[in-house]
Amino acid sequence: MHTYKLFANRDNVVFSVNRSDGWAIPLTDPANTDYAEFKKLVAEGAELQDADGNVMSADAAQEFIRGLP
Amino acid sequence: MGKSRNISQVLNDQGLIDASDLAPGVGTPEQGFSFRNRIINGDMRIDQRNAGASATFANTGAYSVDRWRVSNAVSTVTAQQSTTAPTGFNNSLLITVTSADSNPPSSGTSHGLQYYIEGNNVADLGFGSASAKTVTLSFWVRSSLTGTYGIQIGNNAPATRAYVAQYTINSANTFEYKTITISGDTTGTWATNTGIGVSVVFDLGSGSSFQTASANTWTATDSRRISGNALFASTASATFYITGVQFEVGSVATPFERKPYGAELELCRRYLQVFQGGSGSASSSTSWETIQQANPPFRATPALSLSGVAAIEDHAVTLYTQSSANVSLGSATSLAFKYGLGNFSSLTNSRYYSLGLAVNGNKLFAAAEL
Repeated sequence: MHTYKLFANRDNVVFSVNRSDGWAIPLTDPANTDYAEFKKLVAEGAELQDADGNVMSADAAQEFIRGLP
Repeated sequence: MGKSRNISQVLNDQGLIDASDLAPGVGTPEQGFSFRNRIINGDMRIDQRNAGASATFANTGAYSVDRWRVSNAVSTVTAQQSTTAPTGFNNSLLITVTSADSNPPSSGTSHGLQYYIEGNNVADLGFGSASAKTVTLSFWVRSSLTGTYGIQIGNNAPATRAYVAQYTINSANTFEYKTITISGDTTGTWATNTGIGVSVVFDLGSGSSFQTASANTWTATDSRRISGNALFASTASATFYITGVQFEVGSVATPFERKPYGAELELCRRYLQVFQGGSGSASSSTSWETIQQANPPFRATPALSLSGVAAIEDHAVTLYTQSSANVSLGSATSLAFKYGLGNFSSLTNSRYYSLGLAVNGNKLFAAAEL
């Protein structure tokens, strides 16, 4: 299963998430199928790291994806 | 008074129209003369990802030639654009089993070749309504493994409405032409937007969870096969070639619709664009960024990936290469996306650099696949 790491720009705004196979995935468009898969896999327990590389707790990860479009 | 011939009677064996047939009343409105085929790259000519090279699909699902997705949940297959093709075609898609699944496979295992038609391109079919139209799927197929195979026509991935048709490969290692006509589904939810409108799945030996008892009927399932259908992925070294795939309105399979190569490529680029050049500037001593305009617009906001390390040039004087591949995505839409490349060293902040992937042959992929 893939793992994910949030990417923040210089203004500390998170636009995307980096998947462990090297893909950068937008977090703004539900029509992107990689984004849909990201939400599904994290909901199922896939590892999500914050932009600093710290592994987010399951609760924090779920809360994060609940706040996404 | 116009003629009453339908388009299959008008098109000759080459899919061409005689001048005498260009008269009012020829053809049927729902078939049309051009863009009959709702499948893009049905003849497997476009391969932006691999340019004909073999790719391995181990315990995963991913795209091979443009628009065609190989689903291989367990074991290993390779897939590549092939020049082995029936008369009239230059290419096919070849799938080879390099490490076979168990026989039978686990119940929930998916093995198949998937094509997802965007809802915008099938909105006229009327699926999910009383006016659902009849459609016909046609294709050329060849396999080392003879037997009966299943095909799913579905409404999503996973499907909640599915029709399982079957076809038989009679002779090993011989291209055979198949046609299947399907009465449109009058129930269920069928997307008519940028999502999956119709899924076409060529089953390659999925598990029993994907089986249904009855072929040629619509069910509220994700079925792709009938019990006893060929278990391709469970057969070591088995080969499967396919090309000339056409999905069209009507009850007749017309000749494969030929499109100019450039036109076919442009249709593919709604879902995948590949870059090797561009201009941008350093955002630090280790990173570079730019904004790329999409041309044409993507189906959806794309995701990005590099095929290998990126290189950027300093006015063609100095080449800077990433220590390892790294790409990040900033603000993005289907029209344009801001992205950055990291893992450089010794860049001058805010200085202009050109993206120089042509130097090492690597590529930046932007994908908005279904």
